[in-house]
Amino acid sequence: MNIASHPLLKLENITKRFKSLTAVNGVNLEVSHGEKLVIIGPSGSGKSTLLRSINLLEEIEEGTIHFEGREVGYVMRNAKRHPDRPQAISALRAEIGMVFQHFHLFPHMTVLGNVMEGPLTVLRKSADEARSIATDMLVKVGLSDKRDVFPATLSGGQKQRVAIARALAMRPKLMLFDEPTSALDPELVGEVFDTIHTLADEGMTMIIVTHHMGFARELADRVIFMESGNFLAQGTPEELFSAAQDNDRIRGFLNRLL
Amino acid sequence: MKYTASRAFVALLFLWTLTGSCFGAVDYDQLFRQSSDLMAQGDLDGALALLKQVPAPAADEEAGAFVSSRMQAGRILASQNETVKAIAVCQEVLKLFPDNSEARNFLAALKDQLKPGWHTVLSDVVRFLPSLARGAVMTLMLVLCTMLVSPLGGLLIALGRISTLRPVSGVCWFIIWFFRGTPLLLQLFFIYYGLPSLGITLSPFTSAVIGLGLNYSAYLGEIIRGAIQSIDHGQMEAAKAIGMSYSQAMRRIIVPQTYKRLMPPVGNEFIALIKDTALVSTIAMVELMRAADQLFNAYFNITALALAAVIYLVLTTIFTFIFEKIEYRAGIYEHR
Repeated sequence: MNIASHPLLKLENITKRFKSLTAVNGVNLEVSHGEKLVIIGPSGSGKSTLLRSINLLEEIEEGTIHFEGREVGYVMRNAKRHPDRPQAISALRAEIGMVFQHFHLFPHMTVLGNVMEGPLTVLRKSADEARSIATDMLVKVGLSDKRDVFPATLSGGQKQRVAIARALAMRPKLMLFDEPTSALDPELVGEVFDTIHTLADEGMTMIIVTHHMGFARELADRVIFMESGNFLAQGTPEELFSAAQDNDRIRGFLNRLL
Repeated sequence: MKYTASRAFVALLFLWTLTGSCFGAVDYDQLFRQSSDLMAQGDLDGALALLKQVPAPAADEEAGAFVSSRMQAGRILASQNETVKAIAVCQEVLKLFPDNSEARNFLAALKDQLKPGWHTVLSDVVRFLPSLARGAVMTLMLVLCTMLVSPLGGLLIALGRISTLRPVSGVCWFIIWFFRGTPLLLQLFFIYYGLPSLGITLSPFTSAVIGLGLNYSAYLGEIIRGAIQSIDHGQMEAAKAIGMSYSQAMRRIIVPQTYKRLMPPVGNEFIALIKDTALVSTIAMVELMRAADQLFNAYFNITALALAAVIYLVLTTIFTFIFEKIEYRAGIYEHR
């Protein structure tokens, strides 16, 4: 019973700039164990950048990241902030699963090979162990019959489910979804949706960036509306959607989506 | 000089046949004389044209003028190395006078003259093949050694160029800049003839492999760098996101995806390499080109060069075929 006294993830004053553009502007966020957080907002509002900052695919200019209570990602040297050692960064990423909008499956490996790759190469499991983990994960996303084909033969929805299985095979403590259904044909969204839902039901902590309001409504414990690098509003789905009545920006955005 | 002499000889021949064989051909005396004059002036074509005016005789007619005109034409043609035409003239005579011994003998001699041509080529091939084959084996050794060394060198150079460490990328940039920017011939000379003055003496083979290896590493380095950078950046991110280090991501994810893209340009380079080994003949290596050159100089015979060309073509064809197969296999995951 180690329900930690601290949140799983704690972001303080996260700031990311691209040249003159401030993509994320001093954001604070706490995500507790098992929480399902959905971030919505218009394109270019900094949602993806924030998500990518969490597993250090983006290097932030200011702020701190705490994962399971320990500060991660950056160290102070000579009173200057530097990225942590590559090994430490990789170790953090191994604990955080990420699913991309465009899947990024490894095209030269079979479906099984894709899912095995993390356990095999990063966790240094034996081939047999990695295969059994990967097989379990493919069963979970409902694609065990596709284990021996190459990604090129899969539909978009199947690719995304394989990508989820690949992330899950690392037994992550936190899952990041970066617009997981935005590149899919509408009729394929459902299957990916369902897979994420299953995960949520199992108690996985997750942060989902999406344009899909249905998602937010059904799944989220908390929804954050982000714009221009700031959190404009947050709360339970009901709270946010009712807050939208008073806020032109949010209402405008939601009306366009719904 | 030679030409005039042969013309004079033909003219003499002509006079001799004229006196010997035109007793009954009174009608054509004038014509024979004219053609003889033309020959004396060196106008062989004119003489030939005149001689051909003598018609084939009717059944009961005297044959002497016709036969001697055709035989004379045959000699002129033979003197011009027109053996095939000369044979045709002989056969024209033999068609009407199958027993004409003069035409028969001449024909036999002409056919003999033709035959040795093929015999010579064949015997040349047999004679040259062993030393050319030895040269080809040496060429193949050079190609294989370079093919072993340069992809590794190329990969290192490519990774170095991409590296964020300035000194590493600087050194790799320099290697590419230098070895692509100077002639391979000069590099070979420098390694084989120049290094001894620095106290480093290398055998021709070692020098050749080092020279070709460095040169091709530089070229392949740029090709591999391009291929690596053409892989979607998302692949590197996905690899990192599951916790891979940079080198794991390169080794397991990025580089394997470059293989298919690499095959066409690398195949090109290796075909060029097969031919570039010919440059090595300048640093005392006896490979295919040098072997052919030696034979050519010894016998002044282009068969040696032609044969070398055929061997080069065979080698490049084999390699082209192999690379096509590898390219197909390397990209098998893209086939739906």
